[in-house]
Amino acid sequence: MYRNDAVVPTFALIFALALFYMAFLDGQHVAALEGRMPEVLTVGQIGLMAFGMVLSLYGFIGLLSNWLEGAELRPGKHYPTPSSLPMVAGAVLALLLVAVSGFFARTLAFSSVNSYNVPALQGGLFAAMMLLMALMIAIYKKFFMEEEVLAEDEHSDFPW
Amino acid sequence: MYQWLDERFDISRLQRKFLRKAFPVHHSFFLGEIALFAFVVLVLTGIFLTFNYEPSTRVIRAPDGRDLQAAYLSILFIDSLPFGAVLRSMHHWSAHIMVAAAFLHLLRILLSGAYKKPRELNWLIGLGLLGLSIVTAFTGYALPYDNYAVTATRIGYGIAQSIPWIGSAVASIMFGGEFPGSDRVIPRLYSIHVLWLPLLLIATIGLHLLIMIKQKHTQPRYAEKVAPGKVMGVPAMPQQAVMMGVLFLVYLAITAFVAGAFLAHPIEAFGPLSVKTPDVKPDWYFLWIYGLLKIIPSSWQFEIFGGKFGPEFWGGVVVPGMLGVVAALLPFVDTRKNKLRYVELPSQHPLRTSITVGLLMFFIMATLAGYKGDPGLDWLTTPLLWTLILVVPTVTTAVSYVLMKSLYSERSEGESAAPSPGPGY
Repeated sequence: MYRNDAVVPTFALIFALALFYMAFLDGQHVAALEGRMPEVLTVGQIGLMAFGMVLSLYGFIGLLSNWLEGAELRPGKHYPTPSSLPMVAGAVLALLLVAVSGFFARTLAFSSVNSYNVPALQGGLFAAMMLLMALMIAIYKKFFMEEEVLAEDEHSDFPW
Repeated sequence: MYQWLDERFDISRLQRKFLRKAFPVHHSFFLGEIALFAFVVLVLTGIFLTFNYEPSTRVIRAPDGRDLQAAYLSILFIDSLPFGAVLRSMHHWSAHIMVAAAFLHLLRILLSGAYKKPRELNWLIGLGLLGLSIVTAFTGYALPYDNYAVTATRIGYGIAQSIPWIGSAVASIMFGGEFPGSDRVIPRLYSIHVLWLPLLLIATIGLHLLIMIKQKHTQPRYAEKVAPGKVMGVPAMPQQAVMMGVLFLVYLAITAFVAGAFLAHPIEAFGPLSVKTPDVKPDWYFLWIYGLLKIIPSSWQFEIFGGKFGPEFWGGVVVPGMLGVVAALLPFVDTRKNKLRYVELPSQHPLRTSITVGLLMFFIMATLAGYKGDPGLDWLTTPLLWTLILVVPTVTTAVSYVLMKSLYSERSEGESAAPSPGPGY
């Protein structure tokens, strides 16, 4: 709570992994009782995974915020130091995005023609597209975007 | 284009007044944003679902020759559309994420004392938002009209009916008739789920954000040393907007991946509504209430003037209601004279923090009670569960209080922080 540290988000990621593992163990327990792998998730697994997803998100964005914005702000303007490596990384990510997007469109076209869905593949490709875009924006922010920290008066006239 | 719009709408003034609002930076502030993005995804995927869902229980012939309810059949149709199953699964997962994120956000507010002056009203609105999110998720649960969803929703119907004197009226307003059975139930739940509750949520979220903007965000404690008396942060545009954009994309990535790999509610596995009652449990956020219902003796009931006070009322209405009232009164009991500008460190408020930890243990133990009677869990007896529910939270509260007092009592808030690692920017 004191500063935008990396400790809590790291712990959140570890905790998220533990929750996903607990959900996996829950599935194994149900499978052992039923003698076969269940077709559906239990409410316990859904709850564990929901908290696991929130904590994964929180941990990821928390670490990213620590990397992009720092642990503590200092008022003023701050200029990035662009270099070739981030530019190359951006180009590689953009090419990957094009490839994954094309593949994703192909799966949709295949599904449309054959009336057969592969949700895991569709979801995975869509997730990869979103993640690639997020990484590209993060790289742009870190290495090419001018940053500013404001210290404003708390009595603003917005919204009233 | 910008100039054209600026001449007509004075956008540059809006830019100066609003888009340059300082947004304090701290990772814990993202929890509220995660809940917000879950709501956005729920609305977007929900729009897609409304295009293809039929809110009716009329029986129609499926292409494979089976006679099925229209609601159930339309969900099968949605799942057959390209990317349809993933979008429906994302909708389902986002409902769970919204409840979990809102709960964690509330927990953060509680642990950091951000409910105190001047934010008392926003705390109450936040409590209302969590309740509304849960009710909205509940009203959507029965819509697929599969055997599992209908049976699970019966538990909520029973709790609504258990309210003395007005139970039947409340159940009738929510469900539109006897559940299951009445043809009016699905259209009623559908209109509540896709129209009235989302409108209420949008209005309440808007009010929540408006008050937050006016009252300003709380700030991390170090800001007190760097810029005392000021609100220090990055401008809403473009820096905060970029971070929110990244968070939204990562949200979509994680949700789509999990939604594709694990379909949250595969209705074909549950089958259409039948006379065979499956062994069900309510969703995880109701499991603690369900656990209480399992261990409250059936003899705990009496009647006053025709109103029946039964176990479902104690476990499903009184206990959650009492917790809600305590939470609502908190900012008026735990007060301060001056305005809270910087977050309070949980370590410096051992009583509040240890009670919160004890409360979490209560939820976990009550949830455990929801598994009473399950195969392989014969050792979860009623006396043991009562002991766990009463003793574990109490002991946890006491131990964490003693530990925190001994570890942090002699250090002031400023001293408790680690040495500064240097400026971020």
